[in-house]
Amino acid sequence: MKVKVIGIPVQDQEKALKFYTEKLGFIKKIDIPLSEGNRWLTVVSKDEPDGAEILLEPSPNHFEPAKVYQKALFDAGIPYTQFNCEDVQKEFERLSSLGVEFSVKPTEMGTVKIAVFNDTCGNQIQIVQML
Amino acid sequence: MNNMTYYFSEVARINDICYPNKKQLDTVIGTRHYINNHYDKEVNLSFLSHIRYTSKFHLLRLFKRYYGQTPKQYLIDRRLMKCKELLASGQSITDTCFDVGFESPSSFSTLFKSKFGLTPTEFQKRATFTKSDNF
Repeated sequence: MKVKVIGIPVQDQEKALKFYTEKLGFIKKIDIPLSEGNRWLTVVSKDEPDGAEILLEPSPNHFEPAKVYQKALFDAGIPYTQFNCEDVQKEFERLSSLGVEFSVKPTEMGTVKIAVFNDTCGNQIQIVQML
Repeated sequence: MNNMTYYFSEVARINDICYPNKKQLDTVIGTRHYINNHYDKEVNLSFLSHIRYTSKFHLLRLFKRYYGQTPKQYLIDRRLMKCKELLASGQSITDTCFDVGFESPSSFSTLFKSKFGLTPTEFQKRATFTKSDNF
Protein backbone atom coordinates (compact mmCIF):
# COMPACT_ATOMS: atom_id res chain seq x y z
CA MET A 1 0.00 0.00 0.00
CA LYS A 2 1.10 3.56 -0.61
CA VAL A 3 0.00 6.95 0.72
CA LYS A 4 -1.17 8.71 -2.41
CA VAL A 5 -4.08 11.00 -1.46
CA ILE A 6 -4.95 12.74 1.81
CA GLY A 7 -8.35 14.42 2.03
CA ILE A 8 -9.05 17.81 3.55
CA PRO A 9 -12.73 18.82 3.86
CA VAL A 10 -13.44 22.23 2.34
CA GLN A 11 -16.62 24.27 2.17
CA ASP A 12 -15.85 25.81 -1.22
CA GLN A 13 -13.56 24.01 -3.66
CA GLU A 14 -12.77 27.00 -5.86
CA LYS A 15 -11.91 29.17 -2.85
CA ALA A 16 -9.81 26.33 -1.43
CA LEU A 17 -7.94 25.92 -4.71
CA LYS A 18 -7.07 29.62 -4.69
CA PHE A 19 -5.92 29.53 -1.06
CA TYR A 20 -3.85 26.35 -1.37
CA THR A 21 -2.16 27.46 -4.60
CA GLU A 22 -1.91 31.24 -4.34
CA LYS A 23 -1.18 31.53 -0.61
CA LEU A 24 0.35 28.20 0.40
CA GLY A 25 2.17 27.66 -2.89
CA PHE A 26 0.90 24.19 -3.79
CA ILE A 27 0.27 23.36 -7.44
CA LYS A 28 -2.88 21.88 -8.96
CA LYS A 29 -2.41 18.23 -9.93
CA ILE A 30 -5.81 16.76 -10.85
CA ASP A 31 -9.10 18.53 -11.58
CA ILE A 32 -11.90 16.28 -12.83
CA PRO A 33 -15.51 17.48 -12.91
CA LEU A 34 -18.00 15.26 -11.05
CA SER A 35 -21.75 15.58 -10.58
CA GLU A 36 -23.56 18.67 -9.24
CA GLY A 37 -20.61 21.01 -9.63
CA ASN A 38 -18.27 18.95 -7.46
CA ARG A 39 -14.74 18.13 -8.56
CA TRP A 40 -12.03 15.57 -7.85
CA LEU A 41 -9.53 18.28 -7.08
CA THR A 42 -6.02 17.65 -5.82
CA VAL A 43 -2.94 19.78 -5.18
CA VAL A 44 0.67 18.80 -4.50
CA SER A 45 3.74 20.42 -3.00
CA LYS A 46 5.97 22.27 -5.48
CA ASP A 47 8.93 20.57 -3.83
CA GLU A 48 7.39 17.11 -4.20
CA PRO A 49 5.21 17.12 -7.32
CA ASP A 50 5.15 13.32 -7.24
CA GLY A 51 4.48 13.13 -3.53
CA ALA A 52 1.14 12.65 -1.77
CA GLU A 53 -1.78 14.64 -3.18
CA ILE A 54 -4.10 16.76 -1.04
CA LEU A 55 -7.69 16.14 -2.03
CA LEU A 56 -9.82 19.24 -1.46
CA GLU A 57 -13.11 17.50 -0.87
CA PRO A 58 -16.48 19.20 -0.42
CA SER A 59 -17.68 16.70 2.21
CA PRO A 60 -19.00 19.33 4.71
CA ASN A 61 -21.56 20.41 2.10
CA HIS A 62 -22.92 16.92 1.54
CA PHE A 63 -22.63 15.02 4.82
CA GLU A 64 -23.86 16.70 7.98
CA PRO A 65 -21.60 14.77 10.41
CA ALA A 66 -18.56 15.87 8.37
CA LYS A 67 -19.70 19.48 8.75
CA VAL A 68 -20.23 19.06 12.51
CA TYR A 69 -16.86 17.36 12.96
CA GLN A 70 -15.04 20.02 10.94
CA LYS A 71 -16.65 22.84 12.92
CA ALA A 72 -15.90 21.21 16.29
CA LEU A 73 -12.23 20.85 15.41
CA PHE A 74 -12.05 24.38 14.07
CA ASP A 75 -13.72 25.91 17.13
CA ALA A 76 -11.25 24.11 19.43
CA GLY A 77 -8.35 25.32 17.28
CA ILE A 78 -7.34 21.72 16.54
CA PRO A 79 -5.51 21.33 13.21
CA TYR A 80 -7.18 19.09 10.65
CA THR A 81 -3.75 18.12 9.34
CA GLN A 82 -0.20 19.37 9.20
CA PHE A 83 2.50 20.18 6.67
CA ASN A 84 6.24 20.19 7.20
CA CYS A 85 8.39 23.17 6.35
CA GLU A 86 12.03 24.17 6.72
CA ASP A 87 11.45 27.31 8.76
CA VAL A 88 8.17 27.94 10.58
CA GLN A 89 9.06 31.52 11.52
CA LYS A 90 9.77 32.48 7.89
CA GLU A 91 6.61 30.75 6.69
CA PHE A 92 4.62 32.52 9.42
CA GLU A 93 5.95 35.87 8.26
CA ARG A 94 5.37 35.11 4.59
CA LEU A 95 1.79 33.91 5.12
CA SER A 96 0.96 36.72 7.56
CA SER A 97 2.05 39.24 4.94
CA LEU A 98 -0.48 37.61 2.59
CA GLY A 99 -3.25 38.09 5.13
CA VAL A 100 -3.36 34.54 6.51
CA GLU A 101 -4.61 34.43 10.11
CA PHE A 102 -2.78 32.38 12.72
CA SER A 103 -4.41 30.97 15.86
CA VAL A 104 -1.01 29.77 17.14
CA LYS A 105 2.06 31.86 16.40
CA PRO A 106 5.43 30.05 16.04
CA THR A 107 5.85 28.06 19.24
CA GLU A 108 8.50 25.57 20.28
CA MET A 109 7.30 22.26 21.61
CA GLY A 110 10.17 19.99 22.51
CA THR A 111 12.03 19.09 19.34
CA VAL A 112 9.60 20.81 16.97
CA LYS A 113 8.38 24.31 16.25
CA ILE A 114 4.73 24.67 15.25
CA ALA A 115 2.26 27.32 14.11
CA VAL A 116 -1.44 27.01 13.22
CA PHE A 117 -3.37 29.00 10.62
CA ASN A 118 -6.91 29.29 9.27
CA ASP A 119 -7.22 27.93 5.72
CA THR A 120 -10.43 30.00 5.20
CA CYS A 121 -12.22 26.81 4.12
CA GLY A 122 -13.23 25.60 7.58
CA ASN A 123 -9.93 24.18 8.86
CA GLN A 124 -7.03 24.96 11.10
CA ILE A 125 -3.79 23.74 9.52
CA GLN A 126 -0.52 23.24 11.40
CA ILE A 127 2.95 23.78 9.99
CA VAL A 128 5.82 21.97 11.66
CA GLN A 129 9.60 22.29 11.64
CA MET A 130 11.90 19.73 13.21
CA LEU A 131 14.42 21.46 15.44
CA MET B 1 -3.78 35.27 20.09
CA ASN B 2 -2.01 32.05 21.15
CA ASN B 3 -3.85 31.53 24.40
CA MET B 4 -7.30 31.64 22.89
CA THR B 5 -7.74 28.08 21.64
CA TYR B 6 -8.24 24.81 23.47
CA TYR B 7 -5.55 23.34 21.21
CA PHE B 8 -2.93 25.87 22.23
CA SER B 9 -3.63 25.36 25.94
CA GLU B 10 -3.22 21.60 25.41
CA VAL B 11 0.03 22.13 23.53
CA ALA B 12 1.36 24.20 26.42
CA ARG B 13 0.19 21.68 29.02
CA ILE B 14 1.69 18.67 27.21
CA ASN B 15 4.89 20.58 26.52
CA ASP B 16 5.35 21.13 30.27
CA ILE B 17 4.80 17.44 30.97
CA CYS B 18 6.92 15.98 28.16
CA TYR B 19 9.73 18.50 27.82
CA PRO B 20 10.59 19.93 31.25
CA ASN B 21 14.36 19.53 30.78
CA LYS B 22 15.73 22.38 28.64
CA LYS B 23 19.32 21.16 28.96
CA GLN B 24 18.44 17.77 27.50
CA LEU B 25 16.57 19.45 24.65
CA ASP B 26 19.56 21.66 23.87
CA THR B 27 21.78 18.58 23.80
CA VAL B 28 19.68 16.56 21.35
CA ILE B 29 18.77 19.53 19.15
CA GLY B 30 22.45 20.58 19.04
CA THR B 31 23.43 17.01 18.11
CA ARG B 32 20.86 16.87 15.32
CA HIS B 33 22.06 20.23 13.95
CA TYR B 34 25.64 19.01 14.02
CA ILE B 35 24.67 15.91 12.02
CA ASN B 36 22.70 18.06 9.54
CA ASN B 37 25.74 20.24 8.93
CA HIS B 38 28.38 17.49 8.86
CA TYR B 39 26.61 14.42 7.49
CA ASP B 40 29.15 14.18 4.66
CA LYS B 41 32.03 13.75 7.14
CA GLU B 42 32.83 10.93 9.50
CA VAL B 43 30.46 11.38 12.43
CA ASN B 44 30.43 8.92 15.32
CA LEU B 45 28.87 8.71 18.75
CA SER B 46 32.16 9.26 20.61
CA PHE B 47 32.72 12.55 18.82
CA LEU B 48 29.10 13.70 19.18
CA SER B 49 29.11 13.00 22.91
CA HIS B 50 32.47 14.74 23.28
CA ILE B 51 31.25 18.00 21.71
CA ARG B 52 28.07 17.93 23.84
CA TYR B 53 30.03 17.22 27.07
CA THR B 54 28.08 14.06 27.79
CA SER B 55 28.61 10.31 27.82
CA LYS B 56 28.03 8.20 24.71
CA PHE B 57 25.30 6.13 26.29
CA HIS B 58 23.50 9.11 27.79
CA LEU B 59 23.48 10.86 24.40
CA LEU B 60 22.31 7.71 22.65
CA ARG B 61 19.45 7.30 25.13
CA LEU B 62 18.44 10.96 24.97
CA PHE B 63 18.51 11.20 21.19
CA LYS B 64 16.43 8.08 20.83
CA ARG B 65 13.95 9.30 23.42
CA TYR B 66 13.43 12.69 21.74
CA TYR B 67 13.70 11.72 18.05
CA GLY B 68 12.71 8.06 18.10
CA GLN B 69 15.91 6.90 16.43
CA THR B 70 19.62 6.72 17.27
CA PRO B 71 22.07 9.37 16.02
CA LYS B 72 23.52 6.75 13.65
CA GLN B 73 20.10 5.94 12.18
CA TYR B 74 19.39 9.66 11.79
CA LEU B 75 22.77 10.20 10.10
CA ILE B 76 22.05 7.41 7.61
CA ASP B 77 18.56 8.80 6.86
CA ARG B 78 20.03 12.29 6.38
CA ARG B 79 22.63 10.96 3.96
CA LEU B 80 20.08 8.93 2.03
CA MET B 81 17.78 11.95 1.73
CA LYS B 82 20.65 13.92 0.17
CA CYS B 83 21.49 10.94 -2.08
CA LYS B 84 18.03 11.01 -3.60
CA GLU B 85 18.46 14.69 -4.42
CA LEU B 86 21.87 14.15 -6.02
CA LEU B 87 20.79 11.06 -7.97
CA ALA B 88 17.68 12.84 -9.26
CA SER B 89 19.90 15.68 -10.48
CA GLY B 90 21.87 13.15 -12.58
CA GLN B 91 25.01 12.77 -10.47
CA SER B 92 26.81 9.42 -10.76
CA ILE B 93 26.21 6.75 -8.13
CA THR B 94 29.85 6.57 -7.07
CA ASP B 95 30.18 10.35 -6.71
CA THR B 96 26.89 10.48 -4.79
CA CYS B 97 28.05 7.75 -2.43
CA PHE B 98 31.27 9.53 -1.53
CA ASP B 99 29.77 13.04 -1.51
CA VAL B 100 27.37 12.19 1.31
CA GLY B 101 29.95 10.39 3.43
CA PHE B 102 29.42 6.71 2.60
CA GLU B 103 32.63 4.80 2.03
CA SER B 104 31.69 1.88 -0.21
CA PRO B 105 29.52 2.10 -3.35
CA SER B 106 28.43 -1.53 -3.05
CA SER B 107 27.35 -1.17 0.61
CA PHE B 108 25.64 2.08 -0.36
CA SER B 109 23.66 0.35 -3.11
CA THR B 110 22.61 -2.45 -0.77
CA LEU B 111 21.53 0.04 1.92
CA PHE B 112 19.67 2.19 -0.61
CA LYS B 113 17.76 -0.81 -1.94
CA SER B 114 16.87 -2.03 1.54
CA LYS B 115 15.46 1.42 2.42
CA PHE B 116 13.65 2.36 -0.78
CA GLY B 117 13.11 -0.95 -2.58
CA LEU B 118 15.06 0.27 -5.63
CA THR B 119 18.75 0.28 -6.44
CA PRO B 120 20.31 3.76 -6.90
CA THR B 121 20.43 3.06 -10.66
CA GLU B 122 16.74 2.13 -10.79
CA PHE B 123 15.84 5.16 -8.66
CA GLN B 124 17.84 7.47 -10.94
CA LYS B 125 16.22 6.06 -14.09
CA ARG B 126 12.76 6.47 -12.60
CA ALA B 127 13.49 10.03 -11.38
CA THR B 128 14.80 11.06 -14.79
CA PHE B 129 11.83 9.43 -16.53
CA THR B 130 9.33 11.16 -14.21
CA LYS B 131 10.97 14.53 -14.81
CA SER B 132 10.77 14.22 -18.59
CA ASP B 133 7.24 12.82 -18.26
CA ASN B 134 6.14 16.02 -16.49
CA PHE B 135 6.93 17.98 -19.61
